[in-house]
Amino acid sequence: MKRKDFYQLVLPLTEKLYRFAYTLIPDDLQSEQLVIDGLNAYLLKEKKMIARKEIDLNSKKEMQILRRMVFKGILRYISDIGVRRSSQLNEQMKLNMPKDFKPYYSLEPKVRLVMSLRYDSQFTVEEIEEIVQMPRFEVIEKIHNGRFLLLNDLNKGITL
Amino acid sequence: MIENNVNYSAFQKKIVPYLDGSLSREETAEFEAFVLTHPEFESQIKNKQNEIQLIKEMIPVALLSKESQESIETEMKASIYNLLKEEPQGLFDIIRIKWEDWLNR
Repeated sequence: MKRKDFYQLVLPLTEKLYRFAYTLIPDDLQSEQLVIDGLNAYLLKEKKMIARKEIDLNSKKEMQILRRMVFKGILRYISDIGVRRSSQLNEQMKLNMPKDFKPYYSLEPKVRLVMSLRYDSQFTVEEIEEIVQMPRFEVIEKIHNGRFLLLNDLNKGITL
Repeated sequence: MIENNVNYSAFQKKIVPYLDGSLSREETAEFEAFVLTHPEFESQIKNKQNEIQLIKEMIPVALLSKESQESIETEMKASIYNLLKEEPQGLFDIIRIKWEDWLNR
């Protein structure tokens, strides 16, 4: 695959990647940096596979399949780096977290990650398993915990 | 009757996994068949769907400004340019790659 073909695959994903990064770290610059770091890590790890891959730019279906594969690949590295970075930035995040989304950002990073992939990016449990490299039972457990904690928070707000 | 109740509660427990997409294909088909024969069950699914909608609203949706989009895309292009090397396939490809290298100096 040529560089310009890879640009065509990746550039339409920018907004989605940024949106995902922001669900891990609620800071514009940190999220932008997270997207770049995720892309760099993906390229370093998969450059041989990308270079070998043939692509037919006229086939919409092939482009879609490849784009989804690349999207999930980059998300995998953003997830990995983002969870670690989010733990390191925990104190700073507490001060800067957007008020409207406080319950969400109060969840632990791995729960937040899985919730974002499931409810925002709309991935299936199998796909999340693949992206976050977690066993299925753990993904399901985190989705359940996240949902319980968020709804609990919402109910508290209603009763107060 | 007892059997019916057991069946009913078993399917009730499957509403969230069904909406989550965590049921297997067979379980999903079985669940959908059950819903078709129990129309009253649909209201419970609707409640869970509303719950999920509430959860979605609790997750931030960040949008990139035009300037940020341009800046992030420039950085992404630079990363791709630096990390993805092309294998030239013939003389024209060598010239094209050299030309791109020169443009990106």
